[in-house]
Amino acid sequence: MTKPVSRLGRFAVKGIIWRQYLDWAVVNLPFYFYPVPLLFFTLFFFFFAAPARRAVVANLMVVLPGSSRAMNYLRAYRTLYNFAWTISEAAIRRLVKPEFNYELIGAEWLEELGRAQGAIVLTAHMGNYDLGAALFAEKFQREIRIVRAPEPDQETARHLTASLTQAGEGAVKVEYNTAGAFLSFDLLKALRNGEIVSIQGDRVEGGVGETTGRLFGNDVRIPNGPFVLSLVAQAPIYPLFIARAGWRTYQVVVRAPIFVQNKGSREADIAAGVAQWCVVLEEIITLRWDQWFAFVPIFIP
Amino acid sequence: MNQPDRTPRFYFALLRLLAKWRGGDATRSEANSLEAWVAGVAIYGISYLFFAALIPAIVPLWGRLLLLLGVAVVTMLFWLLALYLNSLVIRLLRALGLCVSTPDRFIQSVLLAAAATAMACGLIERGGWRTELAAIWIVAVAMNLLAATILALSDGRRV
Repeated sequence: MTKPVSRLGRFAVKGIIWRQYLDWAVVNLPFYFYPVPLLFFTLFFFFFAAPARRAVVANLMVVLPGSSRAMNYLRAYRTLYNFAWTISEAAIRRLVKPEFNYELIGAEWLEELGRAQGAIVLTAHMGNYDLGAALFAEKFQREIRIVRAPEPDQETARHLTASLTQAGEGAVKVEYNTAGAFLSFDLLKALRNGEIVSIQGDRVEGGVGETTGRLFGNDVRIPNGPFVLSLVAQAPIYPLFIARAGWRTYQVVVRAPIFVQNKGSREADIAAGVAQWCVVLEEIITLRWDQWFAFVPIFIP
Repeated sequence: MNQPDRTPRFYFALLRLLAKWRGGDATRSEANSLEAWVAGVAIYGISYLFFAALIPAIVPLWGRLLLLLGVAVVTMLFWLLALYLNSLVIRLLRALGLCVSTPDRFIQSVLLAAAATAMACGLIERGGWRTELAAIWIVAVAMNLLAATILALSDGRRV
């Protein structure tokens, strides 16, 4: 649940002040002024966002086995630096609307998704996952519902919702997975009405239903919502990731759809879907570990 | 969705003029990361050297090294403050009915370049490699202004 915060809380790592400053900077900074301040701001958050830094280091120890802790701290800096660029470029695209380039990997599946009557887009906290929904809505002229984990700060949550809606020019609806069973019914109804629902499937936050998957030989907690929805609505799951590939350039990676088929045993059907998802997720994280913005420990010790 | 554009396009007038003479595209673009890095690091570098030059010579070597680290942060804070003050100048200009249709970041660009050039002028007096770097900056700014004038006169486009 989001909660109101004190005036000082606005300056917390997840506080609204940084988002507002970023918006101000996007309108005021010439394009060539970004690189150096982003290096500094990343350094600032590298020190002050200690839980996130530690979580990235812990996750990297599993993703890159045998790597040294010192190197993983440098990799954590790189991950935070990429995060700084992706949120900056999302704001730039929303407020300044300059040209952006996209490379498509798995175009045939994206086209299939665009035509789908009810489908789930399963993504991860990777690259510019919010930008992806806006792009999808723009390309296919379709509405998309994004399900997000709740923000700890109420003002930040409001700002993010407004930003996503603005970026998607009204075609992106944001839902927070705090409404319990009611949201599940809403999403099921949306899928049955032929809508597209986008969910992040790489970490569990809040009191959402979960299941256990295997990533890099370790157990991980995976939200089971997307798989239950897929099973009940018989809607395909399309793994989709948006990775930053350079200056205002993004790679849209779409993988073959996952079908959670009803074979009689609900647990086994869901487990099969989760296993397929974990294979795709592991492949993508191996390639793009520096853009995996999972700022909480993912692996079960 | 746009596929990546491989044709080089530029933001600064000097490079756009050179591109035009070579038969390329002279319209302004913010798509060139190399330009962004070179200009960004140059502005930061000039201002860093300017503030570093203010450290008194009597400070011992270890103290000087510590202060040089501090200057890196102070320089960043200086630019953040400068950006804010520039935004107030822009509001004043708008209130006077000036630069109404020019985006804020373009006016900021002019103000930032002017501040960096003023610092480069301050560095000219220092001698050695710092003078050379400052001179390179000033010449680059002058050539860019000249290129902007030529572009404006040649086809009437906004520069």
